[in-house]
Amino acid sequence: MAVITLHYRYLERLVGCDRATILERLPMIGSDIERIDEDHVDVEFFPSRPDLFSVEGVARAMRGFLGLETGLPEYRVTPSGISFSVDPGLASIRPYLGTAVIRGITLDEESILSLMGLQEALHWALGRGRSKVAIGIHDLDRVTPPFRYIAEERTRAFVPLDYDREMTMEEILDEHPKGRAYAAIVRDFPRFPLIVDACNQVLSFPPIINGELTRVTADSRNLLLDTTGTDERAVMTAVNIICTALADAGGRIESVLVSGSHVPTLAPSTRVVSARECSALLGVEFTPTELSLLLQRMRFAAEPAGDDGIRVTVPCYRADIMHDWDIFEDAAIAYGYENFGAELPPTFTIGQAHPVMAIASTVRSLGTGLGYQEVIPFTLTSERVMYQKMQRPYAQETLGVLHPISEENTIVRTAILPLLIEMLQFNRHRELPQRLFAVGDVVEGLETFQKSAFVSLHPAADFSEAYAVADALCRELSIPYTAEESGDPAFIQGRRGRLVANGCTVGTFGEIHPAVLNAFELEHPVAAVEIDLRAVPGYPSGQGTP
Amino acid sequence: MDLSLNEKRLLKVLEKIKKGDPATLAAQMDTTAESVIQFALLLEGRGLARVEKKVDTTYHLTEEGARYAREGLPERQMLNSFKDRIPISDLTTHPLSRVGMGQMRKKGWVAIRDGMVEKTGRDAPGEDEIALADLSRGGEGIALLLKRGLICENQVTVYLITVTPEGEALAAKGLDLVEEVGTLTREQITGGAWKDLRLRRYSLETLPRKIYPGKVHPYQRLLDEMRQILLEMGFAEIYGGLVQSSFWNFDALFQPQDHPAREMQDTFFLKEHVPVPRGYEKVRDMHLHGGTTSSTGWGGHWSREKAEQCVLRTHTTSLSIQHLVAHPEPPVKVFCIGRVYRRESIDSTHLAEFEQLEGIVMDRDVTFRHLLGFLKEFYGRMGFLDVRFRPGYFPYTEPSVEPEVYVDGLGWVEMGGAGIFREEVRAPWGVSHPVLAWGLGVSRVAMLRLGLKDLRQLYRTDIDLVRETPSWRQTSEIRGGQ
Repeated sequence: MAVITLHYRYLERLVGCDRATILERLPMIGSDIERIDEDHVDVEFFPSRPDLFSVEGVARAMRGFLGLETGLPEYRVTPSGISFSVDPGLASIRPYLGTAVIRGITLDEESILSLMGLQEALHWALGRGRSKVAIGIHDLDRVTPPFRYIAEERTRAFVPLDYDREMTMEEILDEHPKGRAYAAIVRDFPRFPLIVDACNQVLSFPPIINGELTRVTADSRNLLLDTTGTDERAVMTAVNIICTALADAGGRIESVLVSGSHVPTLAPSTRVVSARECSALLGVEFTPTELSLLLQRMRFAAEPAGDDGIRVTVPCYRADIMHDWDIFEDAAIAYGYENFGAELPPTFTIGQAHPVMAIASTVRSLGTGLGYQEVIPFTLTSERVMYQKMQRPYAQETLGVLHPISEENTIVRTAILPLLIEMLQFNRHRELPQRLFAVGDVVEGLETFQKSAFVSLHPAADFSEAYAVADALCRELSIPYTAEESGDPAFIQGRRGRLVANGCTVGTFGEIHPAVLNAFELEHPVAAVEIDLRAVPGYPSGQGTP
Repeated sequence: MDLSLNEKRLLKVLEKIKKGDPATLAAQMDTTAESVIQFALLLEGRGLARVEKKVDTTYHLTEEGARYAREGLPERQMLNSFKDRIPISDLTTHPLSRVGMGQMRKKGWVAIRDGMVEKTGRDAPGEDEIALADLSRGGEGIALLLKRGLICENQVTVYLITVTPEGEALAAKGLDLVEEVGTLTREQITGGAWKDLRLRRYSLETLPRKIYPGKVHPYQRLLDEMRQILLEMGFAEIYGGLVQSSFWNFDALFQPQDHPAREMQDTFFLKEHVPVPRGYEKVRDMHLHGGTTSSTGWGGHWSREKAEQCVLRTHTTSLSIQHLVAHPEPPVKVFCIGRVYRRESIDSTHLAEFEQLEGIVMDRDVTFRHLLGFLKEFYGRMGFLDVRFRPGYFPYTEPSVEPEVYVDGLGWVEMGGAGIFREEVRAPWGVSHPVLAWGLGVSRVAMLRLGLKDLRQLYRTDIDLVRETPSWRQTSEIRGGQ
């Protein structure tokens, strides 16, 4: 999530009202206030609204939400006369370029902080860690147009930001902190993206680092924006959001000629939406006029069009408006979520438990009736617990995760019994007897189904106890079984059995092998049972496979 | 007053001899002194006897002490070994000089001048010597001897049991000494002998042995409670696999293929792939350009291979959408409570797997107000009476809402998320009516309800948590749960 720092002084100046009013209403436009400080507030905004990732953007939205200034904010763009070429060799590397010139801006400390925060949040939310979009902002007066976006030799050298010596682009990837952080995005390309001016001076090595030459300071008055990336729409969204924020901060936006067209246009788009559809979705009857007024407070231009339609003009920075319903949500926000009367629908349906869950509930009542306490172990475990410590061979149908987070969580359990024995280990210091059971999902291959396991630890636990419990469970669950000799090495030879129903092994029981007890640091015998609940009549087949 | 047989027997003896020590009384009752003390304490509790407890301290000589008692203390023996004066070098040859020399000087019996030891004449027997001669005399000497390790202390607790006037009066009325029986036997019950039996009374003062019933885990009880509420609200339960294709987990829910949740660091990906289902093209088109809806779609590329890769489900919404696809006609009201997975490092507030509860309602003419109505009803039944709604964001719902409930001491607590499925989600499957959806991470409610500080306790359970958490607690308690 994007957490944006809003300095009160700048925010109050841009919104035109006091901080208390802003803070009170801010959550209702869609944000979480993370932390309130003396001179600033940290607010989390949703990734769908990157236009709110700057003080300028928040102020613009809040002015509308508070009714101080409604309707579409207008942004004028004039041609700069500057052109920017794109090397066709970038097509397979990083093909898209967005750019703009911003003139006559005066950046103070707070607007520079806001701009840096915006850039960082856009890199994260729109840019996917700079891979999809990367943004560079330059002091235009330090370089000479026209500019070129080229695919350059990897050994080309320049002075990167925060350094005082030339480095080759390969060196930057290895040595510069930003180079190391983002090297993976470009490392495999034969040539690297580079932005140079008419005198072949380097402005930027996107998406890694700018050149020191064009560093932006409080004295910079004219800026050049470059956004490069792999997704044209995202690249242009970033340009629109930064340009409108800088325009709100006092800059004049000028377009640049790229491949024959002027960018950016900052032009809004238009949709005609239905008041009836909106009313049906929200459950409140709105006229086109009422909806128009609500939408104007969300900074759309909106006017009734026909008896049901509303012509909505969407500002260029609202990349999240993909569908008419996105506009309806804004109408709902403007109306106020607190003003919708909650109401139960008349839909009549009959509740029904799923058979798998009904079986699990029955096992739970049997478990407690037998005097066992339920535990709910994790489903992620390790081969060590599932097989090695149990003396069992690795099962081929075990599902492993590709990038486990720790050695304890490498596979999905194929059985519950090992996890119950591990649970006894956690509870070694607790009073005996300990009788535990669990019921839950296991995965074999790609199939999820339920098993249930029981363990009993006390000085007199033995095979007979395990057999009795297995028998009671099978009788109560209507599993017609026969008990046969088992070769399961987790149990003591001659004190183990398997439950066979309809020719299949559906369970295992017996007295746990002392070597297994040693592996789990247990000091008393353990009687154990595990049953595959697919053997229960009525267990639905084929529901747990993708 | 109901006396046990043993109490009566003791009182009977006391009536005769008035007072006595436990051993004497035990001999008369044919029992042990320890038992007599127990019976006497019971009588004392009823005011029928008095038990006086006295600690008697006696002393006896150690081996070394016994020798000195015979031969005199080392310093006395040394003093007696010479006349008025003696060279110090001669005296140090005395076998007891290591102890005796220092003591003689300390007691002021001798003075040392120019290498000669001279008697001072102030050598009357000290307290220690007096005590050593007769330990029963006591006095300061005892402490000195103890310090020198010449005697040992021995403490004996002595009881004296005396009958009170009330005890005598009761005994005088006559005591019934019929034998008491501890266990009722089958023969006694069926043969009628029980009519003449006197059954031993048990004391309520003796606390019962603590037994623990077999129990459902408190977390499961909470899950069952939620499940019951949803069943009562008319929802049918659904169930499905932990393994899902990315298609059902993400693509069918209109999560773009480059969404951060689809990156390796947030989701447990599996090496297995399963084919995309029939009709997947409409989902692909929805991503690419919005299909036949008013949506623009995400643009960019859509990879079938990426959709076919399996994951451990990150939410149960993958089951909800599949249920809708199989049941596109209204009404549909289903819920699911199941394990979901996030690739998180495990600590006290983050787990890689936890339970999610989710419900959907699809019907003609259901609206955003109905969604809020369901949320309010559900949380109200859970005991959260104050519910409020704020705008939220989820990739597959529009509008989206974040419900919050008020908990005393904590304020407004976020409780899951909700919204109406985007048209992009339902349109590819011919689902033409709105779908209200909400989900809830149940572990947060469990933390509030059980007062836990560490989420791991739900799964890696100290069994005392199960043993000590009562099975029934009044629901309204959770409002002030912390």
